[in-house]
Amino acid sequence: MSLQVTLKILRSRPHQEQRYDTFDVTVPDAANVLDAIEQAWAHHDRDLMFRHACHHASCGTCAVRINGREKLPCIAPVKDYDGGEIKIEPLRNFPIVGDLVVDVAPFFQNQEASDFIITRPTENELDGKAIAHTQGLDPESAPTVPFNRFENCVECGICLSACPTMSADYKFFGPAGLAAIKRQLDKTTDANEREKLLHLADDEHGVWRCHSAWECTEACPQSVFPAESIMALRKEINAQRFKKFFRL
Amino acid sequence: MKNKKSSWGWFWQSVTGILLILLVGLHMIAHHFVAEGGIRDFQQVIAYLSNPIIILTELAFLISVTVHAMLGMRSILFDLGLSPQWERVVTYGVVVIGGLTVLYGFWLTYAILAQGSAPTAFLFR
Amino acid sequence: MNLYRPELKRFRFLRWFDFRSWRLGMLAYILNRVTAIGLVVYLYLHLAVLFLLAQGPSGWDPFIQIARTPWFLMLDVILLAGLLIHGLNGLRVALTGFGYGVRSQKPLFIALMIFAAIVLAVGVFKMFMG
Repeated sequence: MSLQVTLKILRSRPHQEQRYDTFDVTVPDAANVLDAIEQAWAHHDRDLMFRHACHHASCGTCAVRINGREKLPCIAPVKDYDGGEIKIEPLRNFPIVGDLVVDVAPFFQNQEASDFIITRPTENELDGKAIAHTQGLDPESAPTVPFNRFENCVECGICLSACPTMSADYKFFGPAGLAAIKRQLDKTTDANEREKLLHLADDEHGVWRCHSAWECTEACPQSVFPAESIMALRKEINAQRFKKFFRL
Repeated sequence: MKNKKSSWGWFWQSVTGILLILLVGLHMIAHHFVAEGGIRDFQQVIAYLSNPIIILTELAFLISVTVHAMLGMRSILFDLGLSPQWERVVTYGVVVIGGLTVLYGFWLTYAILAQGSAPTAFLFR
Repeated sequence: MNLYRPELKRFRFLRWFDFRSWRLGMLAYILNRVTAIGLVVYLYLHLAVLFLLAQGPSGWDPFIQIARTPWFLMLDVILLAGLLIHGLNGLRVALTGFGYGVRSQKPLFIALMIFAAIVLAVGVFKMFMG
């Protein structure tokens, strides 16, 4: 079985008027939106700019807005958009390079501000709970087997696009950057390092700028919970302030 | 980044906000639910203000509501994506407007008490 | 960061109201902003009206004749609703920012808004019947 869909894609190029182009494509029943975009590119317009890599939600490269909502098209089934037209636009709050491709450099700059790296240090537990080891693994040797987990964040930029504060205040550090600070904070017990990280977050346009709309957490495809991280940072900074105040 | 100042706006917004829940509650109950006919006439206002604790509560309300409103307006204006220069203008602007608002409130309290012969009028003489 | 939102170039304040999603957090944010602006306008109207008090009974007492009419009380209902929505939603923002109820902000918001509706109903009843 196959599905007939119409893609309505926002086309942009530097110094040109933006316009919507529609493409009628046929995709298999189980296809995701990314497959449909590829069909449009393959059979209709080789000029269409889009970006992707892994096809299974682990690289975060392909993020776009589908019918206005931020999604990873690689895991968004076409079936979910029954009823013909699917509107596809680039992420908001980023400079557009062309068509569906945006410049994510500002995103990575804020990710790196806290020395965030995407692999977690080798660990035997996750969030305080021992990791259930792979079945068949010798329990005796289990604790010495190194685990190299990736961070949840796939750096897709969806949270920045969904965030209403981000679109209002271009200086906002952004949910992803703040979540990265929170992760770094969780990884260290060094007082100086923690102070530095909290200082980075404690800014007019940092952790305090958020208006608690929780859109980042709602939109995040990978359970990073950026809004919860922002609240945790606020709590941490507020707790520090109380401590400092009452010690005086 | 080194000379970056930490930001206290959200903190005071929350503290005044929580205070205001109490003070607005008191204010609404005192002026619109307890008061006869939903609002006091002039003599009733004077009688109401004869209690110094009431005056202090009203002035605390005035200050918290002004601080809260000014921080809020600043935050809303910052959401226009302002340049650093305009941000400074807004910050000074809300300080000046807030200061004038509080001064006006104090003057008004004095003027009302001076109108009637409230026992606490001496506080403002 | 450079924004790319050509549709909103002229009316930048429209960025405050992201109507795409009607999820609860977004709704709370928009409600908070609308009521905030309304309440500040009200605050200054209120302070201006209170100037009448400085003129003694001759200034104030004619005003309260108007203020006691049902039409004026309708405005009070709007004020009360705004205060309740803004105050209780603000309580959610403050609580989560101090680390309370972070994981349950949605039920927290719903519970606070139900409470607001109850207080509003009681208030309206008192205003018109009491």
